[in-house]
Amino acid sequence: MNVFTCEDNLESKLTCIYTAWEKAIKVGHSNVRLEVEPIYMSNLFDEYTHVEADNIKAQKVSNSINSKISPDVYISVYYALLSNEDDALDSAYRFLINAFKVGNNAIFAINTPENMRMMELRRRVGNEIHSFVEFLRFHSINNQVYIGHIEPKADVIELVGRHFDDRMPSENWMIIDDNRRYAVVHPKDGDNYIKQLSSEEFERLRQTEGIDDVYTEMWRAFFDAIAIKERANRRCQMNHIPLWMRKHAVEFQG
Amino acid sequence: MRTYVRKRIDSANKCSYNVYMSNIISGFTTKEKLEILADAAKYDVACTSSGVDRKGKKGELGNSKACGICHSFAADGRCISLLKVLMTNHCVYDCKYCINRRSNDVPRAAFEPEELCNLVIEFYKRNYIEGLFFSSGVMVSPDYTSEKMCETLLLLRTKYHFNGYIHVKTIPGTSDELIAKIGLLADRISVNLELPTAESLKELAPNKNFSKILDPMEKISDTIAAHRLAIGKDARMERANINRYLDNSIFNSRMTIDGEKVKAIGDGRENIGLSRSVNNKTDYTALVPQGKQGGDLKRPFAPAGQSTQMIIGATPESDLTLLETTQRLYQAYDLKRVFFSAYIPINEDKALPAIGTAPPLLREHRLYQADWLLRYYGFQAKELLTEQRPFFNEQIDPKCDWAVRHLEAFPVEVKTASYDVLLRVPGIGPKSAMRIINSRRYGALSFESLKRMGVVLKRAHYFITCNGKMMFKTRIEEDYITSRLADSESKENWRIAHQNEQFHQMTLFETYGAMSS
Repeated sequence: MNVFTCEDNLESKLTCIYTAWEKAIKVGHSNVRLEVEPIYMSNLFDEYTHVEADNIKAQKVSNSINSKISPDVYISVYYALLSNEDDALDSAYRFLINAFKVGNNAIFAINTPENMRMMELRRRVGNEIHSFVEFLRFHSINNQVYIGHIEPKADVIELVGRHFDDRMPSENWMIIDDNRRYAVVHPKDGDNYIKQLSSEEFERLRQTEGIDDVYTEMWRAFFDAIAIKERANRRCQMNHIPLWMRKHAVEFQG
Repeated sequence: MRTYVRKRIDSANKCSYNVYMSNIISGFTTKEKLEILADAAKYDVACTSSGVDRKGKKGELGNSKACGICHSFAADGRCISLLKVLMTNHCVYDCKYCINRRSNDVPRAAFEPEELCNLVIEFYKRNYIEGLFFSSGVMVSPDYTSEKMCETLLLLRTKYHFNGYIHVKTIPGTSDELIAKIGLLADRISVNLELPTAESLKELAPNKNFSKILDPMEKISDTIAAHRLAIGKDARMERANINRYLDNSIFNSRMTIDGEKVKAIGDGRENIGLSRSVNNKTDYTALVPQGKQGGDLKRPFAPAGQSTQMIIGATPESDLTLLETTQRLYQAYDLKRVFFSAYIPINEDKALPAIGTAPPLLREHRLYQADWLLRYYGFQAKELLTEQRPFFNEQIDPKCDWAVRHLEAFPVEVKTASYDVLLRVPGIGPKSAMRIINSRRYGALSFESLKRMGVVLKRAHYFITCNGKMMFKTRIEEDYITSRLADSESKENWRIAHQNEQFHQMTLFETYGAMSS
């Protein structure tokens, strides 16, 4: 078995798909596997190859999916590559094998395990994006800049940022992924861009979470006042907003 | 002091009342006002931000998503999507079920327009809320209150450039001109029906009457239709796509009300609740405003439609009455949603359930389930309940209940059944039915794959075959299946009915006096 490994970002993953496919033409798809680094336990009989990100190869993969299959299939693959689940990259690869055979219908033909898995991954990542659009909280810094922190499982902040690009175009804001340590930055009336954060920057930005103003207080007061105590239902609340998503929601702190 | 306030409100003397008002207002901080007015608004059910897609604009704040976005979930598990507040909880009415009725001794407050606008904007920028849910007690008179509300909304849309979602609850008795103005500023308008029949309304809300509620509802729905026609849309609101595939749907183009074919919006209105004399001529220009509204504002009239809510459990109506009224509201008034609110006894009154009576949460749950069956599954109210059985079986959900009474139609073969047939199987919903339809063209189905597609086999397996076989050997008998379904749902039903009770770990060293009582 040839195992291709790559770093945890979109470009590397697409390059990895390219390289693995190249190999598979010679040895067959069943003899390649894709994994995301770090690899904690390697198999004795497998041959591991690290794949370095290559913009041109990544572009080729995305172009050929978009033009030879369909943009919808590319969205599925894109969502799967954002996922943090162990088998996501390999599943995307297996799905693509089907998709290149049958075209766009691979999305609907969820009888095969590969296509089914893809549907699940897309749904899960899509739901996570929606959840963080809901539960992201901005902290206002002197009414000039709005900074929000989230800790998503999948790598969703770019897509979360897209929502706020439309919503608050004329504000300065920033959404920070605390786990991956990078941020989507939006300057007033400008376009979103992505910034990797150095550890000093990250530490400094982290302190914005401590900043509470009168509106934070009022929001907490509102949050408590709006619940009907005769209908208290903790389990229902938990289903809708699980604990791990509450970490940065101010109404659940203090 | 409060008795004094009440007397003043009773006399409804505008001038002296206002002077006095500003005196009390100054006593509260914004935070205190927010607490009082959110607390007073919490019994309003609707907190949806759905129904309209609107892009953001540079220089403005906010957009709107048709799917709706919830921002948090309160301790009762209800979503917090909008900043749900009253403008004031002063009220000249004395509706028996309402916490804000005139005869209640509760702290009263009122927001200043600027104050509320600020709150909305700052909350919105921090992504706490999706917009504003704006209701009010009746201060001085309906028109006076609506004018104040209108002022606030206009300020929010123009001075503060707020482009997010606004839901306004109109005050019964407001003049048409004001409703027209409000409709152009808000995304959704609602008029509370409160109670499904005129008799109950007369009993519990002496200051309101049915035609005062239905009249604005009618005008609003006509005006929405007129505005939609004017911009080239269909007069009727958009409904879930599924309804196009369901012949029996209440939103179908061939829909009928009580066996009579519906042509235009407004047909069948005389059947709601009571027979009132309506002039059947549809007056599309009812609320179309004259002249310019608020500067350069060009907005559609209530693009997210109209909704209403009914209180259940305070009056003796059957589920059938409630559901039939609901269906007629959807068809004749083209409402987007009808909400139900389990009555929570907050006031002492001999016409109402005693304080401490548990709110009928499970019944409310069943009604909502039935409401979904009307809007997404192509059921009609008459199919779900009959004159002989006017109440839902609380043990099993309405769809299971319907299925066990129609066993002649089951089991269905998932490989060949049509979409509308699949949709009527308990445990299969719009999404899983669509997945079945899409995937069975490409290969075989199995119970395992059905499960991964989202079919709830716990309920579905009594009613389906896959490749000609049922999942288990099942007797197709009504009593048997009902008892099995009730058994598997019992835990959840109990949880819904007793959701607010507290539990604690038993220990050997405590006495449990409360348990034996």
